[in-house]
Amino acid sequence: MAGRTIWQGYIHFGDTDVPVKLHTAVKEDRIQFHLLHKRDRVKLHQQMICAYEKVPVPLEEQAKGFELEDRKYILVDPLELEQTEPESSRMIEIHEFVKTAQIDPIFLERVYYLEPDTLLKGYNALVEALQEMGVEGICTWTMRKRSYLGALQASGQILRLNTLRYADEVIPVKSLDLQKFSLSEKELKIGSDLIKQLTVPFQPEKFENEHQKKLQNLIDKKARGEKIAILRPRPMKRTAPDKLLQALEASLKKVA
Amino acid sequence: MAVQAIWSGTISFSLVAIPVQLVKAIEPGRVSLHMLHSKDYSPLARRMYCPKEEVLVPPDEIIRGFEIGPGQYLPITDKELESVSPERSRTIEIVEFIDMKEVDPIYYDHPYYLVPSKGGEKAYRLLVEVMRRTNKAGLARFVLHEREYLVAVKSTEGALTLITLHYSEEILPDEDISPQEGKIEAEEKSRIKQSIKTMLADFNPVHYADERRKKIMDLLQRKAKEKAQVEAPVVEEEAGAGPPDLIAALEESMRQVKQNR
Repeated sequence: MAGRTIWQGYIHFGDTDVPVKLHTAVKEDRIQFHLLHKRDRVKLHQQMICAYEKVPVPLEEQAKGFELEDRKYILVDPLELEQTEPESSRMIEIHEFVKTAQIDPIFLERVYYLEPDTLLKGYNALVEALQEMGVEGICTWTMRKRSYLGALQASGQILRLNTLRYADEVIPVKSLDLQKFSLSEKELKIGSDLIKQLTVPFQPEKFENEHQKKLQNLIDKKARGEKIAILRPRPMKRTAPDKLLQALEASLKKVA
Repeated sequence: MAVQAIWSGTISFSLVAIPVQLVKAIEPGRVSLHMLHSKDYSPLARRMYCPKEEVLVPPDEIIRGFEIGPGQYLPITDKELESVSPERSRTIEIVEFIDMKEVDPIYYDHPYYLVPSKGGEKAYRLLVEVMRRTNKAGLARFVLHEREYLVAVKSTEGALTLITLHYSEEILPDEDISPQEGKIEAEEKSRIKQSIKTMLADFNPVHYADERRKKIMDLLQRKAKEKAQVEAPVVEEEAGAGPPDLIAALEESMRQVKQNR
């Protein structure tokens, strides 16, 4: 079952309005750990500490400031911050449509399912129009006092909203300072052949979170007072630059 | 500027092993406001605090625990956590390659970059280049702290991007909210298509900016002109050269507290 409704609004572009309900599409169910004090196994709390006085600071003595230069701050009032919050609105406004698969995955954040609200008005027609034209709608909306950027997509019978990261949130590859390295055509050819040999259809169901079960076993064992065998990872031997071609050839032989 | 590594280890495909570091690809775009103490405008640091002993707890006294009953925890050490899947905690082993076009975006979780460590530059470049040529991405599993991630490794503008994926068991079904088979009015559909046609464009993420952030920046600029600034006191430990290392300073003060006990 899809997650509960978290927001209601309507999609708007041109003279089309389609009312929808937003549902979460992903639910993570992972083992949770808490941070404890080693000595007494007491669960730790987070506390704000004054760097100068080294004392815990209660909520009513906490303020927010923007650092202009070293040690110089502009104080910002909670009321002033509130005024910068976007006005609440129910509209998911589409600004333009782009060809699907044009958006680099690095921008894709989270998917929500959209359920048709009350009337089916325009919903099915919009799903089909998007699918037949192979496009998605770039849109903005306001939810929980935040402005979102997203892509409206059709998937099967339903509409989805995929939130997007803002461009300046993505660290550019340039800043990684990667060096160029020349490779021989032979290395590239064998490498490409190897990848083609190892390519299979994407079948996510094949991958279960086995680790989660093993972790639960470890917890159960430890709870019964059994000793846990400590296994150390064997570091993998790194391929030396002058052994690369050799390793590629041996790999190709192995899979062929 | 050197980027801080989140993890360092090896990425492998078949018999080729490349030393790499995992670094962040996303910088949350919120305007960063610091928490200050309203009495002296000194910055605040987030620290772990033991409510029973009423003391700050340095990192080397912190362990993970699993709740087995109300207020009762089973401590688990990092070494024990690593023992669950020892190999996967050091190696991102690409087990197969896939076409990224087949991956439903619903699976995408969080992107990172991989950068080569010393000696791995050439093999790194090779993997980037052959994945670009074949337009394929590698699938792997690896463990970071207590979690195992299913990840896709792809080639982006000369770098390796690692995107963590959700497991299929975490994707909720959508059948219950799918619309009833309704009659689609041909007229309505063609009207929508007309509308879409007039709005077709190429995706350019730079066209969109967070309006809220702009407003906060405007507010700050206004206030900077009014010279409404405050000054924090000099923290003793930073008297020497270099930037103040708050955590080290607090740890040091904790050591002193312990010695005096």
